[in-house]
Amino acid sequence: MDRIDLKNTLPEVFASLNEVRSDVWHRDISFEKGDIYLIEANSGTGKSSLCSYLAGYRRDYQGIICFDGQNIAQLKVHDWVEIRKKHLSLLFQELRLFPELTAYENVAIKNDLTGWKKKKEILAWFERLGIADKIDQKIRRMSFGQQQRVALMRALVQPFDFLLADEPISHLDDDNSRIMGELMLEEAGRQGAGVIVTSIGKHIDLNYSKIFRL
Amino acid sequence: MNLVWKLLRQHISKWQFVGFFFANLLGMLIVLLSIQFYQDIIPVFTQGDSFIKKDYLVVSKKIGLVGAFTGGNTKFSEDEIADLKRQRFVHTVGSFTSSQYRVDASMGVKGTLSFSTEMFFESVPDEFVDVESTAWDFDPDSRVIPIVLPRNYLALYNFGFAQSRSLPQISEGLIGMIDIAVRIRGNGRQEVFQGRVIGFSNRLNTILVPQDFMTWSNKTFAPDADIAPTRLIVEVNNPADESIAAYLSQKNYETDQDKLDAGKTTYFLKLITGLVLVVGLLISALSFYILILSIYLLVQKNTTKLENLLLIGYSPQRVALPYQLLAIGMNALVLLIVLVLLAGIRSYYLDLVLDIFPQMQVASMLPAYLSGAGLFVLVCLINIGAIRRKVMNIWYRKEL
Repeated sequence: MDRIDLKNTLPEVFASLNEVRSDVWHRDISFEKGDIYLIEANSGTGKSSLCSYLAGYRRDYQGIICFDGQNIAQLKVHDWVEIRKKHLSLLFQELRLFPELTAYENVAIKNDLTGWKKKKEILAWFERLGIADKIDQKIRRMSFGQQQRVALMRALVQPFDFLLADEPISHLDDDNSRIMGELMLEEAGRQGAGVIVTSIGKHIDLNYSKIFRL
Repeated sequence: MNLVWKLLRQHISKWQFVGFFFANLLGMLIVLLSIQFYQDIIPVFTQGDSFIKKDYLVVSKKIGLVGAFTGGNTKFSEDEIADLKRQRFVHTVGSFTSSQYRVDASMGVKGTLSFSTEMFFESVPDEFVDVESTAWDFDPDSRVIPIVLPRNYLALYNFGFAQSRSLPQISEGLIGMIDIAVRIRGNGRQEVFQGRVIGFSNRLNTILVPQDFMTWSNKTFAPDADIAPTRLIVEVNNPADESIAAYLSQKNYETDQDKLDAGKTTYFLKLITGLVLVVGLLISALSFYILILSIYLLVQKNTTKLENLLLIGYSPQRVALPYQLLAIGMNALVLLIVLVLLAGIRSYYLDLVLDIFPQMQVASMLPAYLSGAGLFVLVCLINIGAIRRKVMNIWYRKEL
């Protein structure tokens, strides 16, 4: 997947408004593979909606969203499974980790599916992100900031053309944000992938190709 | 351990599955047992020379008050027989032929003459005779007449006559040793034959001789007599058929009611087995319903987990698989236990039945196996489909 296009896209809930001021909604924009994008948003401007549309689990929008020129409204269940497994990696704002599993198991459950990373590499990440002592800790006993780092690792144990990170550092200090940004760019760079980061206020300092105001 | 299974087995309710397990066990056992029981027991009523031969009726005309005095005609004409043959419920019709000459029989054991009596013979086509014997034919040169008596004659003698006269009781085997001198007179001739009782009949309430002998003797001793039958033996498809009774009463014929009752026994047995089968199926259906509800509840409780698995790239098939395997495993276990229980129960009742009917042919268990396998496949398919549908609902976010 080389590009994502939004053509006149608008969440249905905004359809009744008289005026929409946004760099994204009701415009034609595209995200290219290999570039890094920041989407800055205020609350209630449809950031979560945008992520849900791109992840394929909500369809309540007007206009067209295309992956490589194909309207994603036409994609079948099988296509979405392939996209989520090989082309589009998602780091959810609400993390969507499994509280019953340990930190390592939460990463492994994804890596079991893709077989993308060796256990050694994953353990090295834990070390680098400063949560090596939490490997066998149940997720529900970890702080939100620690959970964010586990979720990032889970997002990275798969091949992808785009990484969509929804507020990845909302609960992290500057040091950890920096490490996380490096890790993201390393993995994306290795695959030549694009990165789309969203944020409300606080954001990772990266060399963004383009910044959108949602 | 597989992490997906570790996640998805959360919220499994043991007691719901135990409930399903026993309900399904009971339902399936009842279904298969009734099928097997039917297979095993029905032949006793319907096959071979068993104690109830369901499908023969002896039909005669009613003797009215007027007829009794005027010698009214109780014979069946050719037309009447043909009409009977045309009826839907009739399989075949045989005529009773009665002797048209005088018969005297003298009996004694080993040459001692004890008493003599006037009597008569009747015959029916051989295929209607319920005594298996190689001696059942007549050769004019041998001068031996095989005779079949109604079984209740023997009982009448042994328990009525012999008791009151202090005479010895006779077994079926001993009867065969009794010499019966049969003297036949007619057409200006008189001949003596040797009669031999070769068996007893439950079906035919008369003194029976082979059709061969009857044809020959009537020709020899009463060549001019009218031999139109007064009684007919009818093989019917189903004696419980209402149209039989209707036809007989319309034509003013009568039949021995107990034969119809024997048919009814079979009919009711079928009816009861059918009812039991339905009850079993109903229990099976309910247990199946419990299983589906339990799995639905499980999926409902694990909706978030399932949704997250789907969002990180697991396919709906892969996510549904653990629950589908769970359902198939439960059903297979139930089937296995039911088949073992069935074999046990069956050997128990077969022992009992074989004690009563040693000649019974033991039916195969194939119908029960096939029905069990059929039920298993059907239930599994529905389970698999239902679970798949539930997961797809999560995919399309219909459950949220």
